[in-house]
Amino acid sequence: MNWKLAIAGTLASALLGAAAQPAVAEDVVIKVWSRADRSGPLRAGNIVAAADTLNKMLTAINSDKRVKIELNETNAKGYDDDALDLLKAFAVDKGPDIFVLAHEWTGAFAQAGYAWNLEDHIKKNPELYGDIIAPLWQSVSYKGARYGVPQDSEVRMLFLNNDNLRKLGMSDKDIAALPAKVDAGQFTANDLCDLAGQAVQKGIAKYGILHRPNAGPDFQMLTDSFGLEPYDKATAKLQASKAALRSFYTWVKYCTDKKALFANNTSMSWDAIEQAAFTGDEAFAFFHGVWRVTDQMKGLHLTTKDEYFHRFTWINAPAGKKGGKPSNLSHPIAYAVSAKSKNKDLAAYIVGLASQPYPNMQHAVTTNHTPINYGEQSMPEFVDKGWALVAATPMLKYASFMPNHPKIGQYNAIIFKGIQGVETGRLTAQAASDFVVDELENELGKDVEIRN
Amino acid sequence: MPDFARAQLRRQRANFALFLGPALLLLACFFIAPAIVDLVLAFTDMDRTLAITTLTLDNFSRMATRDTRLLGALGITAIFVLSTLTIFNVTFALLLALVTTAVPRGMGAFFRAVWLLPRMSPSVVYALLWLWVVDPNERGLLNQILVHVLGMAPLDLRNDHPLLVIILANGFIGASLGMIIFTSAIRSIPEHLFHAARADGAGPLAIVRHIVFPALRWPISYMTIHQTLSLLVSFEYILLITGGGPFYDTTVFSLYAYRRAFENGQYAYGAALSLILIVIGVIAALVLWRLMDMRRLLQVPRIEVH
Amino acid sequence: MQVDATVAPDVGAAAALRADWGALARRARWKRAAGQSGLLGFLLVVSVPIILPYFWMVVISFTARSGGVSTQVLWTACAVIVPAVLLYSVVHLLAPSPRVRVVAALLLLVTVGALLAALVGGQLHLANYRFLWRTNIIEEIRSKATAGGQFPSVWTAFFNSLALALSQTAIILTVASLAGYYISRFAFRGREAFLQGMLVLHAFPAMTLIIPIFLILHWVGLLDTIAGVILVLATIELPFYVFVLKGFFDAVPWDIEMSAMTDGATRRQAFRMVVLPQVRAGLIAVAVFAFIRAWEEYIFVRTLLIENRNWVMSLYLFWVSDDIMGVDYGIVAAVSVFYVVPSLLLYVFCQKYLTQMTIGGIRG
Repeated sequence: MNWKLAIAGTLASALLGAAAQPAVAEDVVIKVWSRADRSGPLRAGNIVAAADTLNKMLTAINSDKRVKIELNETNAKGYDDDALDLLKAFAVDKGPDIFVLAHEWTGAFAQAGYAWNLEDHIKKNPELYGDIIAPLWQSVSYKGARYGVPQDSEVRMLFLNNDNLRKLGMSDKDIAALPAKVDAGQFTANDLCDLAGQAVQKGIAKYGILHRPNAGPDFQMLTDSFGLEPYDKATAKLQASKAALRSFYTWVKYCTDKKALFANNTSMSWDAIEQAAFTGDEAFAFFHGVWRVTDQMKGLHLTTKDEYFHRFTWINAPAGKKGGKPSNLSHPIAYAVSAKSKNKDLAAYIVGLASQPYPNMQHAVTTNHTPINYGEQSMPEFVDKGWALVAATPMLKYASFMPNHPKIGQYNAIIFKGIQGVETGRLTAQAASDFVVDELENELGKDVEIRN
Repeated sequence: MPDFARAQLRRQRANFALFLGPALLLLACFFIAPAIVDLVLAFTDMDRTLAITTLTLDNFSRMATRDTRLLGALGITAIFVLSTLTIFNVTFALLLALVTTAVPRGMGAFFRAVWLLPRMSPSVVYALLWLWVVDPNERGLLNQILVHVLGMAPLDLRNDHPLLVIILANGFIGASLGMIIFTSAIRSIPEHLFHAARADGAGPLAIVRHIVFPALRWPISYMTIHQTLSLLVSFEYILLITGGGPFYDTTVFSLYAYRRAFENGQYAYGAALSLILIVIGVIAALVLWRLMDMRRLLQVPRIEVH
Repeated sequence: MQVDATVAPDVGAAAALRADWGALARRARWKRAAGQSGLLGFLLVVSVPIILPYFWMVVISFTARSGGVSTQVLWTACAVIVPAVLLYSVVHLLAPSPRVRVVAALLLLVTVGALLAALVGGQLHLANYRFLWRTNIIEEIRSKATAGGQFPSVWTAFFNSLALALSQTAIILTVASLAGYYISRFAFRGREAFLQGMLVLHAFPAMTLIIPIFLILHWVGLLDTIAGVILVLATIELPFYVFVLKGFFDAVPWDIEMSAMTDGATRRQAFRMVVLPQVRAGLIAVAVFAFIRAWEEYIFVRTLLIENRNWVMSLYLFWVSDDIMGVDYGIVAAVSVFYVVPSLLLYVFCQKYLTQMTIGGIRG
């Protein structure tokens, strides 16, 4: 693979030569915007490492030029908040050269003209991008062109507390059969809430199903189970079906009434949720994704794979109706290059270097995200340390991506508000559905179609 | 025009520029200009990309017909402003001023200092303390007292009684300003009036009613206007403590406009909402100005020499 | 004190009356003491909700370990301090001689100090304050979240905040005193309208002018700079301070200026050399208020500063306490204490100026 890097390095230094002033040896500054994320320090770290590699090559050819990475790592509460801040920064010409974003925002940045169309670049550099897992490209595409490079992906699931299940009277065999029952559509979402509610009411667990306290991709898994299709490929618009919304929020109400969902879940802090789900062992189920495995093991002092699966069962989001299909969600994070950058090509090549198997595998294995290159899956370190990822891969069968519509972020936020309203008891199921329809029409206007 | 008159006129204009100029410049650039831009924005369709494509009355039609949260926000604002104003900002401030001037000077100063502490400490710190105190778990200070001392069940004030929390939080801050103003007004009442009243046999309540209150009439009027406007437009503490929630329960009108603009990215709609708020505020200010006859506040200056 | 106006002219009854005076005086003193202690008790009770949380924060900053928070030290400390305070108030009310009061105070202080040292002294530590000399403790405690470090040194934020607050105060003092003087002394066309305008400007929800301010700063090129934030903050507060300073200027008698001007000074010289010193108290009050306001500013800073390099204390504390990365209560409390101390010191030392604020020229 060294020759790939050599080609990249030569190309990059040629570009540097073109980009820098002829007589003065100055640093070319590449600004990187990324979100401080405990489950992803290498997202920015790999960019820095890529720049280092480039600089080593430049030294090797006795060039005076260097690439300097300027990091802007924000403390935003989530990728949605970060994307909003980034849009604001771009709007006032203070955008970076490379940025990290959640894939569903690709559309927003592409449409606003902030993300550079990488289609040409990717096609011309198969040495850098040829090994990337094909379906992942779909997550960074907008109107047929690729605007980003996937940086990682993951699998989301519900982590069920086996100890609680045993206390509810289930045998180990029953527990082991649960995921299959979910996949076959025999164990529905209502059944899940029944179980969780029982656990809470019998005092076995303090919380039923704990989920994130802010808007995020997770909920699309749940709404998917109830038939809510957010995107209409034919018209390229977002959509919402009143019936699907109603059945979804009816389920949320059902769960809240059974105490399977906690009324103040949406105003708990992440700290409190993690405390309850990991160290405190107070939750019957925790709804998030595979990268939390590290935290779970640390919090509950589990050391081996067997200990882990003795303690936890993973299931997809169960179907809404008996016989239906479960659903899963994969939520890649991506690198993108700014269309307004003065060093677009250089930035793109740095991204390409950062997306190579070794650096990406480091990220994947240390933070439990799924790899982006096929080759990574056979690396020894991956096979050794990435057992969780290997175990999670089959669940991708039912996985979908969020649509890359520019307004999907707002769509998500509104669905979340509805969930908050029902959980806190402020809205009934019908009121929540009406509320969401109202807000969607108000905010998204022509970009959303409301069906019955 | 004779020379000296012309010179005087020149100096007059120069003085105007020198003294009032900087203030007018700053206000024009960063207060008036934004207000005008806001006015224009309210009629556009600016969303989070900060791009304006059309001029439209859509925002106002939405406010009038399609916004289901609006009336709720207005109602909450009314409750919040009236409660905080009447309970804390004016009444409790008055009480504090009266009590701290009735006790020995040193103690009075100490307690006034304590009550100014919330206003003097940074808003982030104050909000943080409130969050820690009303924390629903066992470690919240309030719950510690309730559970261990009074034997009650722990309360989740932030989620069950959010309005109470924000009224208290803002009230503690609001009481302090009134307390200072009223205290200095009380202190400037001549001592001999008090002595004379006591010599005539007046008890403490009568003294308060006949000597202190008349002296406080202007400060009370001013504080009422000032604090009403202040409460109408401020939401910093509400944002930091409850975020306007749970759901929309403590979203006062000003916070509602802010949330629409920043949380939902509907900047033009937020501008339209704040336009309405500005109108409400201006009307309230003018009405109260008339009611409290503030004209007398403006003494005509006496020397017109430049 | 009730004065009994009827005096018996009888000489024989004089001795009996003398004894009566003593009893009357004692009863009056008791009534006064009772009234005072009632008022003081009331003040103490309503002030507890304020004193306790701040004290708790200080205690947490010195005792919390490994991120958790307990109130055991707090209650122990209260159990020692509260009785001491009550004891002292009793002594203070009963014994009017200053000597006794001072001796009692010293005794109680020493006892409290010794008790606290014995009971909780072992749990005090300075580890939470290590953010003062180590930069990335949050990432050290939880785990790495960034490639370049999540927080800068707190001193960067501190000096930025200081620069922000001082500049804003300087601008406000200059502009508001000039404007306040002019309004107070000159009758110009539109004076009443200007004052009404000032009051009305106060009705502007300055927070929601954020978007247009954001745009205007962008067009002027001051976005994402501390200078822009300074100018905006100064302007938003200006109407209030103009009113306050006008009040102080109104209270300065005309004679001083008149005599200065008959001595040959121009209006401006009179203003600078004669009038300004008279309103020193007002200037200090405005300066302190303005400084503290800028020191604590959060919303404007958050919106108008885009990139992460312009840190100020309010942002630093906010992000440190933001629990996406996990809350370490000890460090958050320590940062809060560090953040509050300058405001507190300023307030304590300038308290007498602040309490002299009046409004608009009407004094009582």
